[in-house]
Amino acid sequence: MSLKKEKSIKFNFDVSAYRLIGRELITDRITALFELVKNAYDANAENVTVEFIDINPLTPNSKIIIKDDGIGMQFSDIKNKWMVIGTSSKRRERLSPLPHKRKVAGKKGIGRFAVDKLGDKLVLKTQKKNSSDILCLETDWSYYSKLEDSQLKLNFEDDKPFFTDVENKYWYDIGENEKQGTTLEISQVNEIWTENDISRAFKELSKLVPPNSSISSKYPFNITIKSPYTEFDDIKVKTQLIDFATKKIELTFDKKNKIQEILQYKKGSLSKINVPVRPCGFLKLTLYYFDQPAKSKYKKHFNSEIDGIKIYRDGIITTPFAEYVADQNKQKDILGIDKRRWSGFFDRFGTRDLLGYVEITDENNPEIIESTNRQGFVENEAWEELRKFIIEQIVQLESYFKNVKKVERENTKSSLGAANQDLKTLKKEIASVKKEASPKVQAKLRSIEANLGKIQGSVTKSIKDYSKLEKESKQQENLFMSLVSLQTYAAMFSHMTKHTLGHILTGAEYFYNNYPNPKLEDRFISISKSIYKEMLKLRKGVDFMLKYAKSDTELEEINLKELILNLFDNIYYDRLNEQGIKTIVEIKDNLILNYNRKAIEDIFDNLISNSIKALKDNKEKIIKCSSLTSKNEVTILFSDNGIGIKEKDKHRIFDIFFTDTAEEGGAGMGLYMVKTRVEAMQGSIEVVDNEFKPTGATFNITLPFKK
Amino acid sequence: MEVTFVIIDDNKEIEEHPLLFTLEDKFKNVKFFSNPQEGLNFIKSNLEINLIVLLDIEFSKDDILDGHDLLKEIYSSSSLVPVILWSGINQANEEFSDFINNRAFGFLSKDCSIAEAMEIVDKAYLFLEKSIENSIEDWIIESPEDKDKPIYFSTEGDAYSLNDILSEVRNQTEIGKDFAQRLNALTIDLLLRGKEKL
Repeated sequence: MSLKKEKSIKFNFDVSAYRLIGRELITDRITALFELVKNAYDANAENVTVEFIDINPLTPNSKIIIKDDGIGMQFSDIKNKWMVIGTSSKRRERLSPLPHKRKVAGKKGIGRFAVDKLGDKLVLKTQKKNSSDILCLETDWSYYSKLEDSQLKLNFEDDKPFFTDVENKYWYDIGENEKQGTTLEISQVNEIWTENDISRAFKELSKLVPPNSSISSKYPFNITIKSPYTEFDDIKVKTQLIDFATKKIELTFDKKNKIQEILQYKKGSLSKINVPVRPCGFLKLTLYYFDQPAKSKYKKHFNSEIDGIKIYRDGIITTPFAEYVADQNKQKDILGIDKRRWSGFFDRFGTRDLLGYVEITDENNPEIIESTNRQGFVENEAWEELRKFIIEQIVQLESYFKNVKKVERENTKSSLGAANQDLKTLKKEIASVKKEASPKVQAKLRSIEANLGKIQGSVTKSIKDYSKLEKESKQQENLFMSLVSLQTYAAMFSHMTKHTLGHILTGAEYFYNNYPNPKLEDRFISISKSIYKEMLKLRKGVDFMLKYAKSDTELEEINLKELILNLFDNIYYDRLNEQGIKTIVEIKDNLILNYNRKAIEDIFDNLISNSIKALKDNKEKIIKCSSLTSKNEVTILFSDNGIGIKEKDKHRIFDIFFTDTAEEGGAGMGLYMVKTRVEAMQGSIEVVDNEFKPTGATFNITLPFKK
Repeated sequence: MEVTFVIIDDNKEIEEHPLLFTLEDKFKNVKFFSNPQEGLNFIKSNLEINLIVLLDIEFSKDDILDGHDLLKEIYSSSSLVPVILWSGINQANEEFSDFINNRAFGFLSKDCSIAEAMEIVDKAYLFLEKSIENSIEDWIIESPEDKDKPIYFSTEGDAYSLNDILSEVRNQTEIGKDFAQRLNALTIDLLLRGKEKL
């Protein structure tokens, strides 16, 4: 029922500009749907229906209708927002209107232009509450593209209409007073939607809403899909049941007693323990881990990827996670799960092994704030703690599974050993029976004995193969270790090279520009001296780097004092000097270790880097290394007077553990590597009482020693 | 135009850096400070002269101020001093916040060549040359008789000569900033009304 007057309105931008941007930002149909549904959420809608009509095969009646019960738009909204590109009202107002006050999910101000990805013609119908008018607007995108094509053929001089000159019809219909909402009716649908496409849309849209609908929200957000396919004829979008996970973890909290559940791995088992609430507020975490077979089962069954941990707040996904990313490699890892490098090795889990949901609420977690560009969260203590919390739980899970593997390995090994033993006993018994048996039986027994021998042979071989395999994987791990330490070194090396190169380069350049010039004689001398000095520095760096390339297994006699002095006085000289760190070495001149040089250098390399970081905020800075020898042991104490190690961290600093210096390139590998290196030398390392009081840390390394 | 370069870097070796030599050859006045606080004090008490600052970002942790703080301090005392960041750390991390919030003039990597550095330095020089206060100074040099003529009256009724105004603008006082703003508005107004042709 149309009111008689039909008028027209123009877009307030050049459409070709929009097309350029729109094609970049909204690259496929699913993203388009995603954006449009987010718009409904931002309009305080509680129900949104996406209906597909006649979409396989396409007919003149094919339609996609997106209908919501949100606050709708009035003419001024259409004129000032809908028809304007990149309207930033959502950027200014980060909350949707009262009473919902949702954190707005859309952001680019182009969601509505997603429409032309779906179909060429749009009729928008929108109604505000308490108004009986339905405002209708018609846009025919095919007309714009025809215009675009024809304009390309015109000469520049020719007069041509701007895109903005194109009129879009609008009119008013009469509706019911109590209703409100916006309907997008898209026709001239471009492409067929197969059942598979609808299923993909369903899956992606399901990521908008939290998986545990158990939490009843005051203002729910329901998405419904309607289509000709029986499986999706009228279905509420909710997260698919997660199945096939190797392990599922659920952590919750007790608000009354201010208690948060966390995971703890201890002596082979994983349990939940209660700790006081963290500064990030109460968290609810559901975490699924998939091992390799579970992963393939999951992928095969659900036809979707395992894509990490997401954060939901009050019933909707938080904005950094609210973008649909077609290519998983481009997904931003804002929680830093994959940043913990080498996730495939050392039994570490990455975002491809984990699925999970963190649920937060405005009430419980007011300090967790989405950043204004919606690409992350505001870097504050609460966000830092939230990240830490997630990583900590993953680390516990990792430790648990690492142990499971270890136990399995040992079981295999010992059952092979037991089988071998059984075979031996069997052989003995046969031998003893054989003497008393009849010749016929004896012949039979001989053949059994021969077969047993063969089996025994293969069991022995298996045991050997197994040990070899174990050794090989240990070697591989060592190799990765040196790669990681190489990486730390490379960061330092490139920092040093940058300065050195700058000096040499500009020095040479100065010569080139000015030589000869008797007035500048003094400068030439000072510059050539500094070029020489910088070259020496560079050479030392390169020498040290070359050592990494050397074989890992060579043993040699190492003078410990010289080795440490070399690190302090040459390799780390610049950095120590820059930071004003004083070093003390109290090691006997004649203390010789027979071991692989690189391994020992790695140990002290990491300890020194560690100390430098710990000394960052100190006024007086000291690093001290001393040794004590007894009959069959050498004890090395390595200390600094830096910030020290918190009591609660002491037991876990040697774990492959996420680092709090990630920004400086720390991978949380250092102390783990130190520990494995020391253990490979049959030694041990622990944190003992600080040598320097009141702050600081002291590591006690004990190595076996033959005089 | 005379200009003084202020280089602040906690690494004393930088004092002998060929870029500093080149600046000295070309512009004569080069001041090096390895103590950031001293450098800042120098800048604050010499706003009357033309300054271009080359600033390191990472200082030793003993220094209370790092490059970012220093840049902020300089910018808050005068927006007229071009500050070029000169650092060995990765530029991408630094650029944005400092460039936008504190108007860093440019970024030089520690491994850049003299030629590359001079490009930005020359830009900074040009920036100074084109600024309001230098136009005033040029005017005074060319027509010294105008120097002490009162040309501006504050709302409190104080009179300022061209020379006074120059000092107020350079020191970025309220009067100075106000004057610059009004001067620009006046120019635009005149142009719009066709009263004046450039």
